Amino acid sequence: MTALLEVSGLRVELGHGRGRTEVLHGVDLTVEPGQIVGLIGETGSGKTTLARAVLGLAPPNSGTVLIEEQNTTKLRGRALRAFRRSGAAQYVFQDPLRSLDPDRTVFDTLVEGLVVQGGRSRDELRDAADRVARLVSLPAELLSKHPGELSGGQRQRVAIGRAMAVEPKLLICDEPVSALDASTRITILELLLELRRERGLGVIMITHDLGSLAGVADRVTVLYRGNVVESGSTQEVLLAPQHPYTRLLVESVPSLFDDEPLDSNRRGELRDAVRALELDEPVASVAGTR
Amino acid sequence: MKQVASALHTRAGLIAAIVLALVLVLAVIGPYIAPFDPLKNSGAILQAPNATHWFGTDYLGRDVLSRVLAGAPLSVYTAFEAVGIGLVIGVIPGITSVYLGRTYEWITLRVMDGLIALPFLIFAIAVAALLGNAVQQAMIAVGILIAPAFYRITRAAVLSHANSQYVTASQLFGASLFRVIRTHVWSKILPTLVVATANATAAGLLIVSSLTFLGIGVVPPDPTWGGILASDLSYLSQAPYGPIFPSLLIMATVGSLNLLADAIKDTSGDHGRVRLLKRRGRRVGTA
Repeated sequence: MTALLEVSGLRVELGHGRGRTEVLHGVDLTVEPGQIVGLIGETGSGKTTLARAVLGLAPPNSGTVLIEEQNTTKLRGRALRAFRRSGAAQYVFQDPLRSLDPDRTVFDTLVEGLVVQGGRSRDELRDAADRVARLVSLPAELLSKHPGELSGGQRQRVAIGRAMAVEPKLLICDEPVSALDASTRITILELLLELRRERGLGVIMITHDLGSLAGVADRVTVLYRGNVVESGSTQEVLLAPQHPYTRLLVESVPSLFDDEPLDSNRRGELRDAVRALELDEPVASVAGTR
Repeated sequence: MKQVASALHTRAGLIAAIVLALVLVLAVIGPYIAPFDPLKNSGAILQAPNATHWFGTDYLGRDVLSRVLAGAPLSVYTAFEAVGIGLVIGVIPGITSVYLGRTYEWITLRVMDGLIALPFLIFAIAVAALLGNAVQQAMIAVGILIAPAFYRITRAAVLSHANSQYVTASQLFGASLFRVIRTHVWSKILPTLVVATANATAAGLLIVSSLTFLGIGVVPPDPTWGGILASDLSYLSQAPYGPIFPSLLIMATVGSLNLLADAIKDTSGDHGRVRLLKRRGRRVGTA
């Protein structure tokens, strides 16, 4: 089976002039169809930059991004737009309110990708919107509403629906649930699992919240200061982390049953271990989760 | 223009639209309903308003009502023409400067800075000297000089939405720049732009008059509201009511333009959404 996404040796610099910093130092990442890959790392580790580079929003200095065996790093202008219109890769943003145009109705937002592709009648768009609304469990009466009238969970469903309308092969979700409360979080994660099952969707889930990955992701890739420090099946990485940074991440997850999630001595020990390994690159100052 | 239509549902917007419609009607039919020849002198100079001359007569004995009516088209069209020119050469670079790369951005910024630095009157006089002294040339000069204001206002408005996530999402669908601007950016900058346009049109009416005062653009004895006002001002001691009639028309036009701009601002953008939601009696999101 050919990989859906194959990123190799990806280097990305951000900023202008003397403030230019390399944020990704040669990153490899593979996503198979129907696979959910968790991408974890702290703020500034380059998670979002990696996602933006995959989507062609941040031009890489070197390395390749193959989406269904097509190298997208070489695409510019018209060719890039034509590739994007195929809808192969889509992005779901962290904050569903800011990612939806407040002036446009849910219907307009859901069918935007189809309208850009062109060649569909008003009726076909109506049908498509109904289909997508069902797919992401949005009540049909919300189609005429504006984002300001929806709840947080509904907004994120609209955002996922907007991406799913063009039937992508790869969905990149940047912290898709971090702006949502716990119960809504579960329903959104279940939605992603269902889409994977029904559509064979490949998903990259960017997060710093290990808890939301545990039941969902097949594989986990740990990014630290622009390098992949660990990559493997979710079980391997979470149960037997090899890299000190991963260990720190895993042990920092609070549990309902511990009095103290991680005692300060242990945390200091792990921090020191991470520092000892110091990857002699300064922390990227430009990146962030937004 | 959805925003303009919803503005007409407010009382202020409706009043402003009615006044503006009257002014436009005046601009079209004014010269035909003037009771006297607006250019014909008579011996009856500086008369107070009376049954024959409703607005009185000016320092050459011309009927002021006729001059105000006959001056309506020139005053209104010239103001709109100048603003139209300013809009085209200000707004288009203003929007595109955000999207078309750093070189283009730098060039447009410097050109607009250059225009801002030009002294207005000297530029107007120079254009009149170069292209000939007529209304069209003067309005082109005015249009060019108000363009930087539109450029800056538009650019600032676009910048605050240029990299919104919904714009990125639209680009990820392969939308063209034109489509992104039309569907996502335009509705966000329109309220700001409408207010700026109304203010600029108001300023345009006054600029036409100040240029007439200097003998640039409209050449006497052709009447414009600004021109009538300027000539009346010299005879304040003999006819203190003189400036009232042309000023009233300028004020009504300028005032209703501002009122309309205000109504549009209130019914579109963030204000408009809050209004809409309140009217529907629903919970207002933290937009």
